[in-house]
Amino acid sequence: MPLHRRIYQFLIIYFLGLSGLMLIKYSVGLSDYVIPGPADVWETWGTVWRRYMRDVVNTLLVAMVGQVISVFLAGLVGIFGRRATWLGNFIKVAAYNVQAYPIVALAPILFILLGDGIFTRLLIAAMICYFPVLLSVIGIMSEPVTEIEHFYRVTGRLRWQLEVKIRAFENLTKLTTVIAGSATLAFAGTIVAEFIAANAGIGYSIRIALYQSDLSKILVALFLIGIVLSIYQGLLEVLGRVVQRTWAGT
Amino acid sequence: MELRCSELSFTYPGTTIELFDRLSFTMGQPGFHALIGPSGVGKTSLARMITGDITGFSGVLETDGMQGLLYSYNLERLPGWSGVGKHLEKITPPGKHSLRDDLIEVFGIRSVTRARFSQLSLGQQNRVNLIRSLLQDFHLLIMDESLANVDEMTRETILLKIKDLFPDTFFLYISYNVIEVSKFCAGILVFRGPGKSPQAVTVPGQDYRIGRTLDKDRLEGTMLEVMNAAA
Repeated sequence: MPLHRRIYQFLIIYFLGLSGLMLIKYSVGLSDYVIPGPADVWETWGTVWRRYMRDVVNTLLVAMVGQVISVFLAGLVGIFGRRATWLGNFIKVAAYNVQAYPIVALAPILFILLGDGIFTRLLIAAMICYFPVLLSVIGIMSEPVTEIEHFYRVTGRLRWQLEVKIRAFENLTKLTTVIAGSATLAFAGTIVAEFIAANAGIGYSIRIALYQSDLSKILVALFLIGIVLSIYQGLLEVLGRVVQRTWAGT
Repeated sequence: MELRCSELSFTYPGTTIELFDRLSFTMGQPGFHALIGPSGVGKTSLARMITGDITGFSGVLETDGMQGLLYSYNLERLPGWSGVGKHLEKITPPGKHSLRDDLIEVFGIRSVTRARFSQLSLGQQNRVNLIRSLLQDFHLLIMDESLANVDEMTRETILLKIKDLFPDTFFLYISYNVIEVSKFCAGILVFRGPGKSPQAVTVPGQDYRIGRTLDKDRLEGTMLEVMNAAA
């Protein structure tokens, strides 16, 4: 999906949601304390957007590092897990089972053990992102591309590096989509970590806004999260297309 | 070297229909041999049994003294990350570079060596696939519709060239073209429809090659024999 369309879509959804809130506010007659009016939201925007933008960027950086770690690890484990060997089957079954567990529930344990610093946020972001990416990578890597691999197999040329290269090349669009999609997971993981116990990031700011029951601040934070994430995902897709075009020479 | 099949029976796992029921034939001399017959009679399955890709059959299937059994089919693809010429260069064993250049010329793909495989026509793709198989060390090459989508004149040029370059090698040519197999093959294993006994019969072909005259009456006779055997 092109970058601008991704941003348009977010803006449409965001403002539809905001209009819905306003509709509820004015139809039920809720006070500004429960749902602030448009003027309040606008005023809050002017006050906090710079600080919140810094927080979102902070969260994004943690999410990006977490995503890179998880994609790299998932690639590595996926390559080992692609084979129909004992180890490969073990990795596949383990990945399916662990993925079924809500990893985010482990976050409090990590905060107790590791404290509320950046490392814990990073770890939670990577963990939440890791298993879905791993499942996709294993799925892609364990599916033979017979019509290409056949020749290399019968002539004894199919080494694991070539096998992985063929499968990655043939599934580049899928891999790009999975990686772009995992950005949301990494971002969500980081925000959840910040909600629970961190001392920085947009999740931390939202937690403070929540204690103050300040919906305006939360709405500003949600807007910035959506815009930044849309741009990041769009850029990942553009990068994927560039890699694809360069590799395929089209 | 000979290819011998005796009392071969096979049923695909999970099915009840017997694909082969005591199939027997012998191909005693190297050269071009054909497998011909209607779709679904087991030509490709037999080819994959010969190369060892399908096991679990009963009977004897001997590839006496043959080293390197290759199976090439018309749906094969080259990886898309570099040009056709580069790929052919990479898979050419040492000492076969002049053979590669010769084949590229005769097969008529010189003009597309810089292109990616996906940019070629189906006929060009099949020719590229065949070239890379011919460049390998083998005693038996199974060509499963390897020249599909190639025009008749180019096909003839290619078949004559292969026969000229590899006189002591076994080729098993899977095709639906009765004229072609009757003309170029030394032996034609004709698969008959389901339920017929024997399941396949061997018809001698005209084995046309460079320097040999083709007797059109005898070619017509071979074609009739193939048609009758299949009926």
